[in-house]
Amino acid sequence: MNLLPYEYDASQIKGKAKQVIFPQSIGQVKSIVATSPKITIRGGGTGLSGGAVPNGDIVLDTSKLKKIGKLDQQRKTVEVEAGVILDDLEAFLEDYNLEFPVNPSSHTICTIGGMIATDAVGSRAIKYGATSKWARWIEVVDSKGNIGRKGATEMSDYTNMEGITGVIVKACLNLIPKQKRTASLIPVKDLDELLELTQKLKSHESISMVEMLDEFTSKGLGLEEKYHLIAEFEDNTGKMKDEKYTELLNLRDKVGPLLSREGYLMIEDPKLHHNKLKDFLTWLKIKKIPCFGHISVGIIHPRFKPNEEKLISEMMKVVKKLGGQVSGEHGIGILKKKFVDPQDKNIIINVKKRTDPENKFNSGKII
Amino acid sequence: MKEKPTKQEKIQANNLIEEVTEILGPCVKCGMCKSNCPVFKTIREESISPRGHSISLLNKKLEESLFDCTLCKSCERNCPLGIKICDSITKAREALSLKKKNTKQNEEMLKNLEETGNPFGNNPPKGEELFCC
Ligand SMILES: Cc1cc2nc3c(=O)[nH]c(=O)nc-3n(C[C@H](O)[C@H](O)[C@H](O)COP(=O)(O)OP(=O)(O)OC[C@H]3O[C@@H](n4cnc5c(N)ncnc54)[C@H](O)[C@@H]3O)c2cc1C
Ligand code: SF4
Ligand code: SF4
Repeated sequence: MNLLPYEYDASQIKGKAKQVIFPQSIGQVKSIVATSPKITIRGGGTGLSGGAVPNGDIVLDTSKLKKIGKLDQQRKTVEVEAGVILDDLEAFLEDYNLEFPVNPSSHTICTIGGMIATDAVGSRAIKYGATSKWARWIEVVDSKGNIGRKGATEMSDYTNMEGITGVIVKACLNLIPKQKRTASLIPVKDLDELLELTQKLKSHESISMVEMLDEFTSKGLGLEEKYHLIAEFEDNTGKMKDEKYTELLNLRDKVGPLLSREGYLMIEDPKLHHNKLKDFLTWLKIKKIPCFGHISVGIIHPRFKPNEEKLISEMMKVVKKLGGQVSGEHGIGILKKKFVDPQDKNIIINVKKRTDPENKFNSGKII
Repeated sequence: MKEKPTKQEKIQANNLIEEVTEILGPCVKCGMCKSNCPVFKTIREESISPRGHSISLLNKKLEESLFDCTLCKSCERNCPLGIKICDSITKAREALSLKKKNTKQNEEMLKNLEETGNPFGNNPPKGEELFCC
């Protein structure tokens, strides 16, 4: 079998796979886990930190766990298996005039399991927050191959843990009525105006997204070489409607890969408080580091070339000095291990020891 | 005994492989091309997805699974970098063919064409047995 495609995710890191297994049912996950010594869990492989890159172990690929189960239209909930792709779920829900509101730019290919494991955020964070907020319960297969249902209180042992504590096999998700959205693309003259307008837009009653593009990114997209904001509204406020709206959002989804083409292969995702954004964005501008991001919640995506490791470390120091988080949404995986705060690391190690004492899942990740 | 490629064919195949890696060189492995790939959507295995083909080909690994692609070009429409994935797959198949690593089905089809002028040979299947996407 050709294992190469399973030795990468979207992070550019290459690992080594011993074997790849595609369980087609939750029962199969249980027996694979019970009989395998070391496992790397893989969803859509869109992770940007190397979380799904194997370390010489067996890859458990959830892609075939694709059943969309019970839909409760009254309570607005749906039960899905972990390998369901977000856009496939949205297409299913459309017939019922419902939607799952969290929207990472990888929505066409990422899986629900991967979103829960990384607690994916995405562009509508200002209104809908992260994925975990929308999970009613999840079902997890532990290192012995036993399955358990985790409600709100126990879920934090698995959400945002990037698969180091167990395999998420199923989830019950909360939904909202399908929204009709419009958007505006707003050029701004400088950083002050960018931040001022962001604050104003955040308090607009129908706002669902405020994204920023810096001058370099704007130019790369064929726009004027200025900072731009993309504001999305859940009513008719935005200037771009229907096809124009879809075109704008599709363009937004392509920003990351487009910057990669320019050689900026590394993407970071620090999160800062709004009142620290001016200092941070000014620092990036001085250092000529291109960026874009979910500015409404302070998540910025600075981009780097592969030989700029030193500059990344320098940036992380700036982020910490400004009281920010080193990763706002992409997770730690392999790439950001060295930036984890020692105190946070101890907390994660304790959860890992409690949930996966044999270190079966995703060894070498986060800690 | 299986036919062996000539020296000329080997050179041609290697040149094609070089062209393939050049086409796919800018691939950043984002996976966006998987979005509407009918083969991936049905089989759900990365190795037969456009990103899977790209990764394998960039590592100069030419697999029989290249023949699983329908050449529909949906991946090219979704690639933010405009990479001509389909072209690279066609060239890689040509290289496999030059290296005499055709699939059994292709060999049979070529033989049928040579002998009868019909890819299905003397006993073509009935209309209802043929299917198309
Ligand atoms: C173009 C592009 C745009 C992106 N935009 C965003 C964005 O806007 N916001 C955002 O938050 N992220 C974004 N990402 C990152 C990525 O898409 C998300 O982290 C996504 O949630 C990962 O889902 P996946 O199914 O691909 O998981 P994978 O990459 O396969 O895995 C990610 C991690 O989760 C673990 N995992 C996967 N499935 C399971 C499971 N069933 N049980 C336990 N652990 C599991 C893996 O082991 C790994 O550690 C983007 C990525 C790309 C390539
Ligand atoms: S979309 Fe393009 S860049 Fe991304 S993995 Fe596919 S071929 Fe590579
Ligand atoms: S051309 Fe091949 S790889 Fe690309 S989308 Fe169509 S079937 Fe998939």
